Amino acid sequence: MIRNPESTYRILFYFATGGFLIATLFPFYYLAVIALTPRGNLYDVGVTPNGFNPGAFIEIFQIAPLHHFIFNGVVLALLTTAIVLVIASITGYVFGRFEFRGRIPLMLIVLAISYFPPAAFLIPLFEMLTGNLTVFGLSSPDLFNTPGAMVMPFSALFLPLSIFILTTFFSQIPDGLEDAARVEGSTRLGALYRVIMPLSAPGLATAGVLTFIFTYNEFFFSFLMTDGSADSWAPLVWGILQYQTQYGELYNYMAASALVGMIPVAMLVLFAQRHIISGLTQGALKE
Amino acid sequence: MSDVILEDLSKSYRDVIAVNKINLDIEDGEFVTLVGPSGCGKSTTLEMIAGLTERTSGSITIGDREVSGLPPKHRNIAMVFQNIALFPHLNVYDNVSFGLNIRDYDGAETEKRVERALDIVQLPEMGDRMPEELSGGQRQRVAIARSIVREPDVFLMDEPLANLDAKLRVHMRTELQRLHNQLDTTIIYVTHDQAEAMTMSDRMAVLNEGELQQFAPPLTCYNEPANVFVAGFIGSPSMNLIDGAVDGRAVVTEYFSVDARPVDGLSDGSDIVLGIRPEDVYLSRNTASVGAPSDPVEVVAEVIEPMGDEIFVYLNFEESAEAVMEGQDSVQDVDQLLISVDPDSDIEEGDLIEIVFDRANTHLFDGESGDALSHDLTETSGRES
Repeated sequence: MIRNPESTYRILFYFATGGFLIATLFPFYYLAVIALTPRGNLYDVGVTPNGFNPGAFIEIFQIAPLHHFIFNGVVLALLTTAIVLVIASITGYVFGRFEFRGRIPLMLIVLAISYFPPAAFLIPLFEMLTGNLTVFGLSSPDLFNTPGAMVMPFSALFLPLSIFILTTFFSQIPDGLEDAARVEGSTRLGALYRVIMPLSAPGLATAGVLTFIFTYNEFFFSFLMTDGSADSWAPLVWGILQYQTQYGELYNYMAASALVGMIPVAMLVLFAQRHIISGLTQGALKE
Repeated sequence: MSDVILEDLSKSYRDVIAVNKINLDIEDGEFVTLVGPSGCGKSTTLEMIAGLTERTSGSITIGDREVSGLPPKHRNIAMVFQNIALFPHLNVYDNVSFGLNIRDYDGAETEKRVERALDIVQLPEMGDRMPEELSGGQRQRVAIARSIVREPDVFLMDEPLANLDAKLRVHMRTELQRLHNQLDTTIIYVTHDQAEAMTMSDRMAVLNEGELQQFAPPLTCYNEPANVFVAGFIGSPSMNLIDGAVDGRAVVTEYFSVDARPVDGLSDGSDIVLGIRPEDVYLSRNTASVGAPSDPVEVVAEVIEPMGDEIFVYLNFEESAEAVMEGQDSVQDVDQLLISVDPDSDIEEGDLIEIVFDRANTHLFDGESGDALSHDLTETSGRES
């Protein structure tokens, strides 16, 4: 028997939330601790920095072109997001607003793609995107070290989820609105762009942000589809690996660059936060 | 500003026929109502005219253009929807100018037209409001402004007043008629409410189960319904329909008989349906105003519904009423008759009363096909359909 349920629940709530926050935020804190510790003291890092060397955040840019790697990552992520949103919008429109034979099986096949581990596709994709595949005498293009080699697999892997999110959102827009737009003079695509997409803004924001974060953080294809130099469109992963030299591992620089590399995603999430929250929760409740 | 011609227009979904060979010839500037119970195909017909639903067969002509195969945007029509369908992310001005923007009208012209349209629906200075800030009636008026701003050939209205409350609905009815007088454009209006259809239209097309029953001015549909369905659907409360048979110069039902002049094609024993409107039944003690009264019939007043300006009385024929009282028969099997009488008629539930029908306003329908045979049972008049 709980004598005072209200305050007990409140204490439990703070306890649980506090525990959760510590578990998620501690890695960030520890990255900061490592980044601030001078290289000579890295053998002995406790819960507080052993020394204070904020210069690491500057030095990382002097040793390697970290900004260039971050730029590459952002461009790749933006390209992928744009491609995914355009294709997923049109697909979501068809799945969400049309009744046709084979709709459900087709949707399940699309979704099934996302069940496969990306590694399963690596060898065929690598062969294809490096120009080693010949079909009917036509050689596939050599996209190694270009954005295409990463943007294409990223888009393919992340399309199913975005299609699902947008299908759900688009199917909830009342038919009358689309009919009204068409009577007023829109084509179907026009109605999608002028009415259905603006009204599904939370869904688009959710799909877009999830795609961006996934792509920006992606390791597997990013690591394998370029040779690792900033000029060959290598993203952040490669930038962090620059501090792994033959003389040793510069953990403080790696930690500092990891923190700096988070900035674009943090900015995006702050910017789109409101939309994402309503996107994730509102889906089922819309008119 | 165009006439609209539907020829053999049909729509079927797999094995269900939603609309079956409808022919309508709607004149320029006419206000035509498609009316019928839900599922009768009236909305489907309208959507086919709009181009939102593909026709299965038949043709649609607006003005002198055959539009059957064209997408909605090339038909020069405007539509007002039951759920109003304002774009919730756009303000009133952008909603009204939506169609003009798509068609690349220049800014000044757009502004002029939107202003005029908002004036016509009496919502000036409301351009920067969002739809959610407006009341139901205001939203519907914005939707109407959106439809008139492009000056279309034809207005299509799909139960535009159905979502409004009763008082507002009556008000908007007159607004729409005012609008029609002002614009003088063809309007095709869909409703399931026969009162709306009666009060607003120049002609009404009564539909049932995908088929056109009658296409005529409202009073013709009321006074001379083409068949049993129209007779029962038009008019409130609805017409009493009683099964009977022809016997010489009379029509005989289970409880009474009425003198009737012979009708071509009917012989003794032919099944017919007798149709009598509640307002054409009178108490036999005040029959002075009735031109051709029938023989009096004894009935029991079972339920009385005072409406203020009139009283609806549900009557049971005497024999069956006794049967009910003796508990030999279930209530459902009893033929009931609804009449309307003056509010000062002194009738109580359970009273035994005598009624007469006005034979000049009694309808006769074929027992099998339901088609109208005669709208007047007296000898003198030759009103036959």
